[in-house]
Amino acid sequence: MVEVKLYASLRAAAGEKRFLTEASSVKALLREAKERYGNEFAAKLKLATILVNGKNIAHLKWKNTRLQDGDVVSIFPPLAGG
Amino acid sequence: MIGGYMGKVLEVDLASNRVKKYALPDRMLELYVGNKGLGARLLYDLLPPSADPLTEKNVFIVTTAPLTGSGAPSSNRFNITTKSPLTGAIVNSNCGGDFGIHLKRAGYDALIITGKARRPVYLKVDGDDVSIEDAAELWGLDTQKTQEKLPAGTGKIVIGPAGENLVKFASVISEERVAARGGVGAVMGSKNLKAVIAGGDQKVRVAHEEKFKNTCKKWRELSRRHPATGEELPRYGTAAFVNKCNATYTLPTRNFRYGTFSEADAVSGETLAEKYLVKNIGCRGCPVACGRQVELNGKKIKGPEYETVGLLGPNIMNADLSAIIEFNYQADLLGLDTISLGNTLGFVMEAGEKGLLITDLAFGKTSGISRAIEDIAYRRGLGDDMAEGVRFLSKKYGGEEFAIHVKGLEIASYEPRGAVGQGLGYAIASRGGCHIAAGYPIYLEANGPITVDPHSTIGKPGLVILNQTTMEAVSSLGCCIFTVYMFLPRQLIEINARSRFVSKMIRSGFLYGGNLIGRALSLPAWTLPVPPPFFMLPQVKAHAHCTGRRFTLGRLMELGKRVVNMDRIFNLREGLTAADDTLPARLTEELQRSEEPNSRVPLAKMLPKYYQFRGWSSDGVPRSKTLKALSIEQEPSLPGAAADSSGAAIAGN
Repeated sequence: MVEVKLYASLRAAAGEKRFLTEASSVKALLREAKERYGNEFAAKLKLATILVNGKNIAHLKWKNTRLQDGDVVSIFPPLAGG
Repeated sequence: MIGGYMGKVLEVDLASNRVKKYALPDRMLELYVGNKGLGARLLYDLLPPSADPLTEKNVFIVTTAPLTGSGAPSSNRFNITTKSPLTGAIVNSNCGGDFGIHLKRAGYDALIITGKARRPVYLKVDGDDVSIEDAAELWGLDTQKTQEKLPAGTGKIVIGPAGENLVKFASVISEERVAARGGVGAVMGSKNLKAVIAGGDQKVRVAHEEKFKNTCKKWRELSRRHPATGEELPRYGTAAFVNKCNATYTLPTRNFRYGTFSEADAVSGETLAEKYLVKNIGCRGCPVACGRQVELNGKKIKGPEYETVGLLGPNIMNADLSAIIEFNYQADLLGLDTISLGNTLGFVMEAGEKGLLITDLAFGKTSGISRAIEDIAYRRGLGDDMAEGVRFLSKKYGGEEFAIHVKGLEIASYEPRGAVGQGLGYAIASRGGCHIAAGYPIYLEANGPITVDPHSTIGKPGLVILNQTTMEAVSSLGCCIFTVYMFLPRQLIEINARSRFVSKMIRSGFLYGGNLIGRALSLPAWTLPVPPPFFMLPQVKAHAHCTGRRFTLGRLMELGKRVVNMDRIFNLREGLTAADDTLPARLTEELQRSEEPNSRVPLAKMLPKYYQFRGWSSDGVPRSKTLKALSIEQEPSLPGAAADSSGAAIAGN
């Protein structure tokens, strides 16, 4: 299973902190998440940063990044602070 | 008179009870503008070289900027500049409290305090009337009680017991906001100055009122519509970064031994909002309101910021958010910088574990911490040594390899082995281990919405320079650093997330363009004669309408470069060298993660290029042509009537 962790306003839009999936790629995972949580969540995903095991998918194979059993996917909206 | 300025500064000598009021040269204001930049120039000119920071020779300078008190959003900052007792370097501590607004209402752009009072005093600035008042009844009080005892309706800066006892990382408080870093509170304490209050009825006159108002309106709208400053930051506060940094291996954990904490979510901004948040609080006139008011044990108090959570939480293996709230509150009352505090506790815990010193403090144990904080503020037992900071502790007890500081200033809550450009920034930062003076490149490396490879050194010197230069300039305009987040506008974030190809182009622009940017920044201001895009840097247009002066992208970059170089020549004059541009061995030699071979900071690979792009020698000394191009005079010259040794006598201690 792949663990998907949601943060900040994405967590609020989903109404939960995490879910488990058997999705085999980031693309499949995002499709599943949109179906699961609806339009508000899907709109926020347009600005999201996605990390697989701490690495931004921009430095992996983007949405074609393959997922394996035990992977952790973290999804964040644009944050600021410091 | 140039718009936005009040036209004079107030200089008070606490030793002789004399005051001077004088105008600063227009040229000085044009070159250094305000806040951080102006403070750096004034300190260089007014401080006798090699002065001991905790003697009467040190100079304590509060500067404002044209936008302070003008009605511009997120721009009511003031800045404290002095020689740091913690580092011996320049320290410029920025604060969002309302003191700057009131200082301008009193009619002054800056306040300069010299000498030392014979007994505890506070300074009262009521327009033209300036007096030094007895502070015997205030001395010993915490920062909240001190503010309550002083007249309502005035702007205040105060110190707590930590400042009185010359704790090297004592802070200055204004309302509930803090000028925290570098021991500025100890400098006030060394002058027997408990507080300054200011008030008056003058108004900030802007040059082009209608244009200014319209610009500020659009700026506010931009800020509200931006996903980071309009939604996430107001909703979750700065501590929203806890989970992001944790996910990217940049959350300092166990005295910077690791970059992740298994219980990070328990101390995150999300948990803070869910369990403790009462309402948002913000600096005056700020549409973001990122501050938190929280409720703990039936009491409504200020909640902790990201830095505080990181260093009093994961860095000491503490997953109890209520304890962090309590420690933060206690540190504010006593007047202590929570970044240095969290590092000092972390160092002592590790040193104790390794048998270098005897202490009851231990990682993961909250008992004893509150007592230790008090011991630091009152300099009792081991607290007396802890009050000197991590560098001192490591020299006395050993453990320099895990003493997490740069130039003596404890490092902020970003673990740079997860973002090596941030490591370069820390090493080079004029005031030491400060994330802001580092340029905050980590936002484009790990925790922002568009990030380059965090472990690669390619392009990082240029990236650090671009960030540092921009932030130093924006800070000198009087704006909150968070206004720079709009530099990555919503549309760019959205386009980046939509397409792999476009994302690669944008990131390549940052990464491979980094070196080009580094070189481009050495060009003179006239080569960039256009204003920056309003939707990325609205501050620049607001500044131009406020002052009535043309202000271009070129001038903005030149201002930033000037401030960096001004800080640098001050530090060199005070005896710092390139050898101080370094990091603790833990960060450059120890791998953060065995499975990631690049998880340490290859500083030696990046530093020479940084010096080169800055126009500095290989020894990190600005070349004379670099200084000349920036119109930086190396000869200190006392501004205006400051050169005159006279001054009006006032009633005093």
